[in-house]
Amino acid sequence: MKAAFPIDPSDPRPIWRQIEENVRHLVASGALRPSTSMPSVRELARGLAVNPATVAKAYQRLTDAGVLAVRRGDGTYVASAPPALSAAQLHDRLHAEALRYASLAATLGATAQQAAAALESAWRDFAAGRGAAERPAAPPGDPV
Amino acid sequence: MSLTSAPASTLAAGAVPGFTAAVRSDAAAGALAADLARTGAAAATADARAAVPPLAAEAITVRYGRRTAVDAVSLTLSEGSVYALLGRNGAGKSSLVRCLLGQQRPAAGRALLFGRDAWRHRASLMAQVGVVPEQPDAPPGATARQLARFCRPLYPHWDGGAFEGRLRRFGVPTDLAFGRLSKGQQGHVALALALAARPRLLILDDPTLGLDAVARRAFFEELIGELADRGTTVLIATHDLAAVERIADRAGILAGGHLVLDEDLEGLKQRCRRIWLADAGAAPATALDGFAPLAAQRTVTGDWGVETVVAAYDDERFRAFQDSAAGAGARVTSLTLEEIFIALTGADADQPESAGAGGPR
Repeated sequence: MKAAFPIDPSDPRPIWRQIEENVRHLVASGALRPSTSMPSVRELARGLAVNPATVAKAYQRLTDAGVLAVRRGDGTYVASAPPALSAAQLHDRLHAEALRYASLAATLGATAQQAAAALESAWRDFAAGRGAAERPAAPPGDPV
Repeated sequence: MSLTSAPASTLAAGAVPGFTAAVRSDAAAGALAADLARTGAAAATADARAAVPPLAAEAITVRYGRRTAVDAVSLTLSEGSVYALLGRNGAGKSSLVRCLLGQQRPAAGRALLFGRDAWRHRASLMAQVGVVPEQPDAPPGATARQLARFCRPLYPHWDGGAFEGRLRRFGVPTDLAFGRLSKGQQGHVALALALAARPRLLILDDPTLGLDAVARRAFFEELIGELADRGTTVLIATHDLAAVERIADRAGILAGGHLVLDEDLEGLKQRCRRIWLADAGAAPATALDGFAPLAAQRTVTGDWGVETVVAAYDDERFRAFQDSAAGAGARVTSLTLEEIFIALTGADADQPESAGAGGPR
């Protein structure tokens, strides 16, 4: 499998956390459906050009959290019922991401009302297409 | 010229560590067999493996005349780790690597491979160590296949199928003389030879120097596959910071013969950050004072404001700085390994550290 997400070395998060959060995101957005087969540690490490131990750490954490499940001798899968985040985790993540968005909006000179309106509009787009808005550049008929 | 019948002396003159090691061990075949039996037995227990680091430098010092090229450098690689050895040209990397390979006797200190002195037990130790040298100068007349045939009897775990498979994937012809291959192809042959011996430890000395982007990518993909399949311990001396920062879990920086940094990459990237103030006010000099508790390394002032790289970042201290009058509006960004390297090793990064400091040639 071609790596479906980029790793950014200038991102302050460690690489294993970037992988972990990217997979969580793909699962939450529906891009990775329950029971989908995940690439092997070896494949994903080569695809991302990172140390396999780093991928293994992310997979281990995702498995411990119940997002992924290991079938003995048969690789790693997205769990059939991935768990939701705890209320505290959800709050922390939302706040951290909102801070980034708020900072960007302020840089662009938007008001709080404009920023909130854009967020609501994006939310409607997302809910309508389950993440389709994230891949606007995909040419029609492109196999995903 | 057939490699297998070549007199040991002609080959030993070559600078390829794998080859010279192999030839020396060939000359001492009896001692090699006995040594392998011993090391094989020692490696049999997982506990013994965990206890003895695959590589350890103990206060290694190298002198050339009155000049000290490596000054009491100590470092340890744990089993399965990937260690990036960084340093500007002339910082002492090559001298240190030669000591670790048992090719050079340190003026003081010692190199231990699997707990045994690299200089004294070089011949037997090299059977467990894969080496990709900076200049892969195998005999130029030999083809990759001949090189493999030559190496095979010298390594107990030789995997000829893996060797040919790698060359196929790399697209390197096995029947063309080594001297006629491109630089990238020579690097691939060197890596394929090193990996075919199924080493427990890989020592790579600037293996991607002079390779183009595609060849570099192929090289690292192969290395990653090896890490995944066999958990090999790796020491890689390199200038390719962008590639190595995705793979290494620990980095050491040599500067002027001193190991000025020896740290886990994750912690290093946590503590080294760039802080900038878009508006430093009328007195930018005082704005800098606020950075001091974060261990400012390099501070640059311009019309756009002031920025610095700090080496002791933590969230709480930064927030305290933001809350001070001077630090209001300060921003923090993370750094790539390359940016950290430049910040820690000096301003004139385009100049070699000192002329002619690369050791004897």
